[in-house]
Parts: sequence; structure tokens; C-alpha cells
Amino acid sequence: MKVAYWPGCVSRGFTPELHGSMAKVAPLLDIELVELDRACCTGAGVIAEHNQELADTLNARTFALAQQVDGAELMMNICSTCQGAQSECQERLDANAEYRAHVNTTLAAEGLTYETGLTNKNFLWLLVEEIGLESLAARVKRPLTNLKVGPFYGCYIVRPRERLGIDAEHPRDHYLDQVIDALGGTVIEYAGMRKCCGFPIITMNKEASLKQAGRHLGDAADADADCLVTPCPLCHLNLDLQQPLAAGVVGRELNMPVLHLPQLVGLALGLDPKELGLGRHVVKPTSVIDWSTSVVAAAA
Amino acid sequence: MAEVHDRPPEQFTLKLRRYDPESGGAPYWDEHTIELEPHRSVLEAILQARDRFDGSIGIRCSCRQAICGSCGIRVNGEPALACHTHLDAAKLSAENGVIEIEPMGNMPVIKDLIVDMDAVHWKKIQRVTPWLLAKQPVPEREYLVSKEAMVDVTQTMACIQCGACVSDCLAMEVDPGFIGPAALAKAYRFVGDPRDDEQFERLNDLAQDPQGIFDCTHCFKCVQACPKDVNPMGQIMRLRRIAIGDHHIVDQNNGERHEAAVTGLIRNYGLLHEAEMIPRSYGGNSWFAKFTPAAGKELLSSLPVIIKGVLRGKMNPKIAIFGHKIPSADLKAVQAIYDKIESRPERYELNLYIAGEDEETAPVAAAVAAGTSADGGETPDAGETPNAPTSPEGSANQ
Amino acid sequence: MPAHDVLIIGAGLAGQRAALAAAEKGASVAIMSKVHPVRSHSVAAAGGINAAISVDDDWHSHAYDTVKGSDFLGDQDAIEVMCSEAPAEVMDLEHMGVTFHRNDKGEMDLRAFGGASMKRTAYVADITGQALLHVLYEQLLKHHETVARYEEWFTTSLLRDDAGNCCGAIARDVRSGQMEAFTAKNVILACGGAGQAYKPTTNGLIVTGDGIAMAYRAGAPLMDMEMVQYHPTCLVETGILITEGARGEGAHLLNANGERFMEKSAPNKMELASRDVVSRAEQIEINEGRGVGPNGAGIYLDITVVPRKRTLEALREIVNLGKDFAGVDITREPITIRPGQHYIMGGVKTDVDGRTPIDGLYAAGEVACVSVHGGNRLGANSLLDTLIFGRRSGEHAAARAASMGMPSVDANAQLLEDAARIDSIIARPREGRRVSEIKNELGETMNRSAAVFRDEAGLQAALETIARLREEADNAWIDDRGTVFNQDVLGAIELGYMVDCAETTVVAALERKESRGAQFRTDFPERNDGEWLKHIDITLGGDGAAGGPQVSYSPVTITQWEPEERKY
Repeated sequence: MKVAYWPGCVSRGFTPELHGSMAKVAPLLDIELVELDRACCTGAGVIAEHNQELADTLNARTFALAQQVDGAELMMNICSTCQGAQSECQERLDANAEYRAHVNTTLAAEGLTYETGLTNKNFLWLLVEEIGLESLAARVKRPLTNLKVGPFYGCYIVRPRERLGIDAEHPRDHYLDQVIDALGGTVIEYAGMRKCCGFPIITMNKEASLKQAGRHLGDAADADADCLVTPCPLCHLNLDLQQPLAAGVVGRELNMPVLHLPQLVGLALGLDPKELGLGRHVVKPTSVIDWSTSVVAAAA
Repeated sequence: MAEVHDRPPEQFTLKLRRYDPESGGAPYWDEHTIELEPHRSVLEAILQARDRFDGSIGIRCSCRQAICGSCGIRVNGEPALACHTHLDAAKLSAENGVIEIEPMGNMPVIKDLIVDMDAVHWKKIQRVTPWLLAKQPVPEREYLVSKEAMVDVTQTMACIQCGACVSDCLAMEVDPGFIGPAALAKAYRFVGDPRDDEQFERLNDLAQDPQGIFDCTHCFKCVQACPKDVNPMGQIMRLRRIAIGDHHIVDQNNGERHEAAVTGLIRNYGLLHEAEMIPRSYGGNSWFAKFTPAAGKELLSSLPVIIKGVLRGKMNPKIAIFGHKIPSADLKAVQAIYDKIESRPERYELNLYIAGEDEETAPVAAAVAAGTSADGGETPDAGETPNAPTSPEGSANQ
Repeated sequence: MPAHDVLIIGAGLAGQRAALAAAEKGASVAIMSKVHPVRSHSVAAAGGINAAISVDDDWHSHAYDTVKGSDFLGDQDAIEVMCSEAPAEVMDLEHMGVTFHRNDKGEMDLRAFGGASMKRTAYVADITGQALLHVLYEQLLKHHETVARYEEWFTTSLLRDDAGNCCGAIARDVRSGQMEAFTAKNVILACGGAGQAYKPTTNGLIVTGDGIAMAYRAGAPLMDMEMVQYHPTCLVETGILITEGARGEGAHLLNANGERFMEKSAPNKMELASRDVVSRAEQIEINEGRGVGPNGAGIYLDITVVPRKRTLEALREIVNLGKDFAGVDITREPITIRPGQHYIMGGVKTDVDGRTPIDGLYAAGEVACVSVHGGNRLGANSLLDTLIFGRRSGEHAAARAASMGMPSVDANAQLLEDAARIDSIIARPREGRRVSEIKNELGETMNRSAAVFRDEAGLQAALETIARLREEADNAWIDDRGTVFNQDVLGAIELGYMVDCAETTVVAALERKESRGAQFRTDFPERNDGEWLKHIDITLGGDGAAGGPQVSYSPVTITQWEPEERKY
């Protein structure tokens, strides 16, 4: 399937291993990524805090660009925060025709228009809803047997439920569990699964920010997880890049590797830890997990 | 047919978290199976258990209709009003179909499902000077204020002080002194009221407080928890917006600097420039920020991480120093959008609570008058739409 | 032992308003409530508050509407006081910060309401009671130095000195179980009504007639206890209230034939006739087989005729209620409702300053009967009643306090007695019935026999049942043997209060052999001013043969408006 692909900012900045692993995994899932390289940052909720119309207009522009991608079935992102920030803007734009028309007058300068009806899905949702868990499982070359994975969703992709389309038919706040399971891994439940990594306040209250990250990592460790997996690079920054400092704040050793979702999927689909960029993490998964035993070797 | 509640009573099993402060024992689980129609509330189920099996079950409750705010609890780990939660929904989200009921979090438990709200919730409400500081002179009749302004503050006035948002506030969990969603929503009730005379003072106070508006971790828990659509986190963001945008308050918590940094960097690059974001959040929104003492200190403490990141190839030095941009034509377009919107004399803000969503279908009252039952949600033919009637005393609508 | 100039029991609108008023007059004030003040049932009042604030309006018109609404049983001097002081009171509230809705000019907007000859109901969406209560509580927080708050303290009895004056109360700290005697120069009862004696009721679980019963037991007369209002629009299953504001915005009532049947009984005011007229009309449709819903026990309230945007703005709360408690989107389909117990016009007899015949004992709000509502209360007059008479009793009590010393009373004996009573309830053996069972039977009995339509046989049967339930209540056993937050034992005490209220209601209903306002006797269907233009008072007799409820009469005060035929 072809998707209008918004890679976000951080995947091309401080988490290049996310961008790279997504690029490697997509063809294995028959996904054609058409990158929206003309689009700008979603604002991550901060631009909306500053000026709602600005955030809505910048994202309407991105939506309009996505709608121009010929043959794209939907728009896809690889970041919980992008999903949440864009969903909030889309909710306002879709709910009120007058407002939408107002925003479109600004976009008109570039000859762009946003029309309702755009589907915007995070890679996690796409895996379950477009590709399907069965199809995903069928493509697994290296089942993640013996790998105990703790899901870390990221706030922006699980709340508020109604805005994110989470309901009985689409238990999107359980998809990460389901994907881990389909890939052959063991889901580790722990208190911090759907809590906040603390990234939004890293500059305003560093201690509270890192305490959150540290606690959730610690909870996962206490539940015996081998690693976490997250669909959000901002969460990844606070959980991985900041892990040494977080460990200091909560006063315990953590040593908990955090994988990006495409990396976990890539491993199961037979890709190599190195080519998935696992070596770039601050808490190197390879230093904690012996992939040759933890994960069954590739089938012939 | 108007009512959809026609399923017969079913059995539901409740697992109640009990705590008897006089026993000296630890909290424990207590299971009861009750029988009620599936659309009835968890509160009714708890009261049935209390009335039939154990009168010592402690829960605050009164109105049964989500207006008094007494019955805040946790259902299957999520904060909610007991009277406002349907049994069938609770069972669906329960593990093994057993509905788990606990007292609210972030507050000490007095007994069973009763928590000490004075110690946490009310203390924080008092912190925000929760009464009108009226503009002088007081007029003889009513203050003249716009319709929109009153509808706007009705959203925060609608808070029933149930504590559900406080219960699961994740910032409060790690920082118990955080003023919190209920109190900050209450603060907006005054900041947004044109009759209040101390908008700047209130905002400055809450912006400078390290546990004030910039301590919110933006996790949406309170938005999800609130039974009255108060949208506490949204109100906190509005407080930030008004403090910074209208009053140009620069707080000591890096809140304004962070917002200015992120917004400014996206304007300059089209993308977030992480390496610049940190120093600017501490030192102010300029390239020279990294040389200020505050930023310098922060960069120094992050040095081990920075070094590791660069060595591992996680942080590309070129991108770290020069950032990465979107194509220049697009960047110009983005900047034009910024210029146009930021130059408006007043922010244009859509609040769905006030504006509402667009109308989609016409009402089905005509079907009732015709004596047939209508399926809720179906669109009748255009010809069936009833004329707008006149109500007594002419139009009741302005 | 806490001692104050004014002790207020009950922290709803009347209680909180009294506290503020007394404090502003310089009195030392304590306000006590068995629940946190913002949980008081005033919070559920929805539609609005009446006041002739419009320049086109005149308080005399409001007063006349109220007199007519009361079916001429209201005391016109009290009604004049309430209606003439209403505009200033509403302005005071606005200045305190109540977020009243506005019209396009920025002035307070006014909506139509039942029995009103012009639009004079100020409102905050459909959460007016909540807005008022919370704003008053904001003021109590502001005045924390002059008003001492005792939140979650349950009053068990009133204190009297040797001369018979009321001088305080005994109360239990619900959290710790500790009992305390509170001395006061004046006590203001503001405990609300007694709806929980009925099942179903719109009232919250805390509305158990505590103030009415405590005053009754202390020897204060109750008045008009037979006048119990059934609100026309309550959800069929749960009794939850759907505000009259919906009809104020233009909603229609329809029977199974889709007819606006109010045409028959109130061709002018239609759905906005007085509540007793509307409830009776609905009940007749139901009784005669033209009802809707399960068992044809309801009536359609059709709000779809109100523009959707207006509904979402001004009736947001009932949009939520419809969705959450009836599974109905009121903007798209009618909702099934029926009459349900809602308010008691009767209560502790007071004058226009809230005074009862017992010196030092005041009452204000639904607990009191001044009477401004007579045989039937107009919608949006209750919020007004609580504030006007809450303020007046607070001011009067403060003035009285200024002219007297603190009473000296030895409260110890009564404190021990009340504590012992609680202990004995806790210790009751597990024979007989549970409190909840007795309460259910009481509520069903009242809803059957003392509801919209009453007759001699039904009322007599109810009286006998109540007598039996009283005995059972005296032996009802509870489960909670603890001291901390023992809600179980409080429920047993509340049951006793409800039985007292129920008994006096039935006795008064039996006594009044006519139909007036909310009282409709099928055996005496006409209004009979000749014999019955008077209040029925009930006082608790002493022990022995003269014990129990003693009936007497008091005159209705007529100032300007002679009784006439009541047509809507």
C-alpha cells in the first residue's frame, strides 16, 4: 500500500535509527512510503499552546500536502506525539466548516486546500488495521521468542480516547500488546505502560520529568521486562537518551533498552540489529540482550 | 423508540477495595455479585451490595446524576464517577469480567472508597484564590459582559469538584506539590471572567510557581477523566497562552522560554532543532542562549549524554550544530503562515465547547407525531422535517 | 466547646447565604454540614432563578404569579418580601461572580419558566444551582476567618436551655466519630427537604428531612406538610430530574397519540403551566392509557423542536443526562419522562425573618415554610427562596446575637444521650429488617398513596404502614460497628427523620379535605376556599394520649390578591 508518510522531526534529528529502521521495514510489509518532505513540524502540542490557529494551519497544510499524494491510501506517522498533535488539530478543522474555510484562506496563498476525510494513522495502527496481525505474523522470520517486551505507548496516542478513535472495535490502546504478541514476544504489563515519559516538562521541571521516566523504566525492570518498545521518538529521548540521568533521579540502576516500534518489527521480520540502528542507542540493546539466544535465529 | 435500555437484569461481580482504619489491617479486596440491568450505574451496583450484603461499605454519594461530585472512584484502574459509569461498559473494560473498584489516587484513603480530599484537592483549590476579585467600581446593576465570555467560563464553572482529574494526575504522582488540574481549571474560571480585576497577578503567580502551570506534564489524563468536559489540561494551556501571549510573562521555570524556543525554531527551520531547543529553553530564544550561565550549566550536566550520543552516531554533529530544514520554498510558506497569524491583533481561537460541531442531520420528531417509532440517528427525508414551532411568549431563542 | 453567635446547620444555598449574611453583620458564624458543602442538593437545581430585573418587569407581577402558583395558600406578605427583594439579591449574586448567561447587550439573559407571566428567570445554562452554590462557597472560602466550617459533621439533636430557647446542637464528626456539643445564641436550620421519603425522587440520597424532623422533635410546628411537589419531567427509571428549562426553551409534552395534551387543561400556558397542573395532566394521560414507554408509564418530552445549537448551549447538562442515564440524544428524539417527587412546599413554620416560635431557632430554604410557595411552588422560585430567606434569617440572627450573651447550658447530658443512642443502634441484634428494606417500603408507600392523586383509603393505609415502619425502624439493624466514617448508623438515624416527615405529610393530607395546589384528593376534587383557605400545622404532642402529631390551623395572610379561580 502507498502512504503519504510524515516522518516527524526527531526521527531525522536525534533518533535517526527510527527513520532508518522504518525505511528498511516498509518494503518488507509492502508499504510504499512517499515522504512528505515539504511538510513542517506538527508543533508537538507546544505550538498549539502558543497559538491554536497557527498549529491548526500548519497541520492543515501538512494534511493538504498528504491529500495531494497520488494514490496514497492514507497518511502515516511514526510518532505518538505527531499523532496526538495532528488529531487535535484535525478534530477542530473537521468539526467546524466555518473555521476550516478560515484556515483554508491562509493555505490558499500556496494553492493548498484541506478537505475533510483524511485518515491519519500511526504506524502502530496501520500494522493492526491495514496490514493485520495475521498477515504480520505470517511475515515473521525470526519470532521474538523468549523476548519479554514492555510496551510504552506514549500519552498522545492513548488519550483522549474519543479523539483518537479508541473504542471496542478499535482497541488502539492495546495494539502494542497485540503486535508484540503477533511477533512472538511476551508482553510484560507494568504500571507505567500508558503513563507519561515526562518529555513535555524536561526543561521546566527536569526532576519531575526524569522521575517519571525513571519510575516507568524501573516498573518495567521489576516486572522482568528485557526491553521496552515505543512508537514515540520523544518518549524514546526521555527513556533512552536521558536514562543515565533518570537512573540518578530515581536512585537505582535501570539498564533497560528501549526499542523503536519499527526496530522491533524489523528484528522479527529478519533484519539485523546493526542495520536497524540498535547500536546507536544510549542504552544499547545489544549490551543487555543477547539477541542470539533471546530471539530464535532466523528460519531458513 | 426513545429508550434503548431494555435489556433484562444481569449478574455483575464487583471487586471492592476495602480499608478499615480501625482494624490495623492492610487494605483488602472484597467481592460481591449483584444483579441489575446492564445500563445501570456502578454506583447503583455498589449501593445494592451495601443495602443487601454489607452496610459498612463506605462511599460518598448523593445526587446519582453526576452533578454533586461526591462519588469519585477508580473503575478498573481509571478515575470516574461511580454514578456516571455504566455496568456493561465497566465489565467490558474489566479483566476477567470482574469490575475492580478502588478509591481515587493521589489522596490519602480514610476508609474504603472515601479519600481525604481536604488534604489534597481542596488545599490546591484554595491556593488559586478561588473567588472573584471584582473590578471596581461595582456597577449598580449587572456587569455588562459578552455572551461568549460567560459561555466560555461556564465550561470551568461546570467543574463539580469531584477530584477525578486529581486522582490520576501523572505530574502530581511524581510531584505531589503540583497545583494540579482541578485548581488550575478553577484559576481559568477567574482569568477568563472579564469581571475579575487581577488577571495578570493570577497568571504571574501561577507561572512563577515551580509547581504551577508549567509543571503540567501534558499527558491528557485529566481530560480523559473529567465527567463534565471541563478539559483541565486545555485550561492550563490557555493560562500559559494568555500569560505569555497577552501579558508577556517570562517565568523562572523556563516555560515561556521553552514555548518561544520551540515555536521560534520551527519558524526558522520548519522542523524541531533539538540541539538548540535545550539551551534556548534555559537561556532565552537566541543563538547566544547557549552561552548564558543557565544554559551552560544545563549543557554541562548533559555532557556525558551528548558525548555518548555523538560517539554512537545517534546525534549527528552537523545536524546538532546547523539543524535540518525543510526546502526553502516551503520554509518561506511556513514563515508566511506564521507572519499572517501572529500579526493578528487578537488570537483566533475555536473552542468546540462553545462553538459546537456542525449540524449533520435533522431531528426525527416528525416520526413521533406520526405515531411511528423512529430509529435514533436515522436521517428523515427532507420533506418530513418539522417547521420550527413557536413556543409560549414568542420565540424563546434570542 | 465551640460557641458562636450563629450556628447554621446545612450548607446548601440557604445555609451558605445565611452564613455570609450573618458574618457580614459582624456575627461569629459556624456552618455545619453532614456532607461537603458543594455536595448539598442545591447543586442539582438547574433551570434558573426568578427576579423582576427587567426594566419592563414589575415585582408585583412576579408576586401575583407566585400567589396564583401557590393556589392562594401562600402568605402574601412573605411573597411580597421575596419578590420585591429578588432583583437586588440577584444583582448581589452577579457581583459575587455568578456566571449568568447574557443577551446580546451583555445584560443578564432571562428565560421563560412555568407559571410566569413574562420571562424573568436568570440562568447559567442548566446548571444554575451549581453555579450559585459554588460561587457562594467561593465566598465562604474567602471569608474563612469569619465563618468556621464544620464539613462532614452530622447533627443529632438541638440544644435547648431551661427557658426553652434553642441554644445549639449536638453533632458527630463523621470522620472520627467524635461527638461535640456546639453552643450558639441562634441556630438556623437549612437542611433542605425530605425527598428520600419517596421512591423515586429527584432528590439526592442525603435529602432525608433531618431539619424538619429535628425541629418537629424540638416542638416547633410544621406547616403545609401535605404539599409535596411532583415535578412533571423526571426520567422514568431513576427519577432523575429533567429541568423545566427545557420547556422554557420551547419543548413540548406529547402523549402516545403525539398530541400536545396540555391544551386540554392549560390552553394558555400549555407546557409552562404550574407544575401541579402539568403533573396532574400527565398522570391523567398515563392513567387513561395514553402513556408511552415501557408499560405506558411515561410521557414524551420533545426537545427536538428547540434549535440544536441552542440546546447544546443552554441545556447542555440535560443533553448529557439524556445520553448517560436514558440512552437518548435529546436533540434528535423525544425522551420519556413522568412526574416524580421533587420538592416539599411544607416544612418548619417560620415568619419572614426565618424565626420559628422557638426563640433562637430559625429555618430557611426548603426546610422552612414561610410560606411563599403555598400549595405549589413555581419553578425557579426555590433558588430565590433559599437566598432571600437565607439572607434574612442570617441578618436577623446576627442582630439578635448582638443583643444577648452566650447562653449557658450544660450540654453534657444530651451529648452522652446522643452518643449512647448511636451506640445502641450499632449494637442492635440482627433480628428484624435492614434499614434499606424499611426505607424502600416507606418510599414506595409514599409514592403510591401520597403522590399526585390521593384519597382517604390510600392515605389511611399509608398511615398504618408508616406506624409499622416506625416500629421496625426502631429495631432495624446495621452492619457497620466502626467509629470512623460510619455511614450505616447515620442511615439508621436518617430513616427515623424520614418516618417523621412521611407521617406528618400523610396526617396533613388526610386532614385537608379539599384539592389545592399539589394536593389532589379524588374524594374531594374541588378547591374549597370557604372551609380550607388556611394552613394545616402539625406539632409533636407530648407523651401519652396527646402524643404524636397534633393538628391545628393558622390563617393565610392576604394583602393584595383575593383568591380567584386558577386557570392556566
